[in-house]
Amino acid sequence: MSDINAHLADSQVASQGGLGSVGDFFALLKPRVMSLVIFTALVGIIAAPGSIHPWLGFVALLAIAVGAGAAGALNMWYDADIDAVMRRTAKRPVPAGTITPGEALGFGMTLAVGSVLVLGLLVNILAGALLAFTIFFYIAIYTMWLKRLTPQNIVIGGAAGAFPPMVGWASVTGSIDLGAIALFLIIFVWTPPHFWALALWKKINADYAEAGVPMLPVVAGADETRRQILIYSLILVPVTLLPALTGTVGLLYVVANVILGALFLWYAWQVYRLREGQAAEAACKTLFGYSTSWLFIVFALILIERALGLAPFAPVIG
Amino acid sequence: MTKPLTNAPFGPEDMARRRKRAIAMALILAGMVVLFFVTTVVRLGSAVAERTL
Repeated sequence: MSDINAHLADSQVASQGGLGSVGDFFALLKPRVMSLVIFTALVGIIAAPGSIHPWLGFVALLAIAVGAGAAGALNMWYDADIDAVMRRTAKRPVPAGTITPGEALGFGMTLAVGSVLVLGLLVNILAGALLAFTIFFYIAIYTMWLKRLTPQNIVIGGAAGAFPPMVGWASVTGSIDLGAIALFLIIFVWTPPHFWALALWKKINADYAEAGVPMLPVVAGADETRRQILIYSLILVPVTLLPALTGTVGLLYVVANVILGALFLWYAWQVYRLREGQAAEAACKTLFGYSTSWLFIVFALILIERALGLAPFAPVIG
Repeated sequence: MTKPLTNAPFGPEDMARRRKRAIAMALILAGMVVLFFVTTVVRLGSAVAERTL
């Protein structure tokens, strides 16, 4: 009888919530994604023409980071059912049962509203509106609508991850300029080959299939995914050079990116060429790993140029 | 007769976790106070000293 009472008490607590640790709530923010958002937003702030008071720059960065965390929490709230099915995500706080869906929803909404208000009222209205749109795009357009509907989910949904440098830029200028759009396009075009390289791994692919998420390898097959990776990689390399035309970057960035882009194309070609066995799996893992570092280096180059005081090219457009 | 107040059905580990959450929440709230105060000073800038009394 006491066992039954204990079980009832446990299930009552689990359904009511209140059991999550600070670490569980931190995990809801998707800290790894958040770190990339913070970095790219920082580059947007530094690369933007004009200046911002360092404290307001810090406030902008904090609000963007919290907004990204809010989007992560809301994503985990909505996707708890498919997260529970996939090995990669089964240990997330909501499917693991340490945080209830209601807690994740409340936490995410509080942070979303708070971060947008802070950015909009303390920095500028446009930046706040852009952050609100980013969170809306990630949750409503990507998570709730496209992710379970179309194999192009990553292509369009990738825009959500591409907005942070634009939000950072708008925090400084109060406007959306071509320079900000160029930074947006780099992440936007980078996202599909990056995630499809991950989705081609056998274990990940099987997970997506089991969860019913129509990722491109699940719906169109591995060969078509390899072809799409190569096409997007071919588009990505010239897109990476757009900041030179908008007068955002200089010679160091361009020279380094020609080399980095050539390497990206080589790894994408290897994914396209190697289609069977361990070599094919290894090529996908190599491209995924390289593309992660690639994005970091591309954005770091902008910071390095600013730190060294290297002059950007005169703008050709914008 | 009123029942004595207890933490049931939370056990000692649950209570320790909830205590840490409460501390984290207090620190976040204190951080927000600092954030709003410093931002107000930064945004007002020299206008604070130059205002007509």
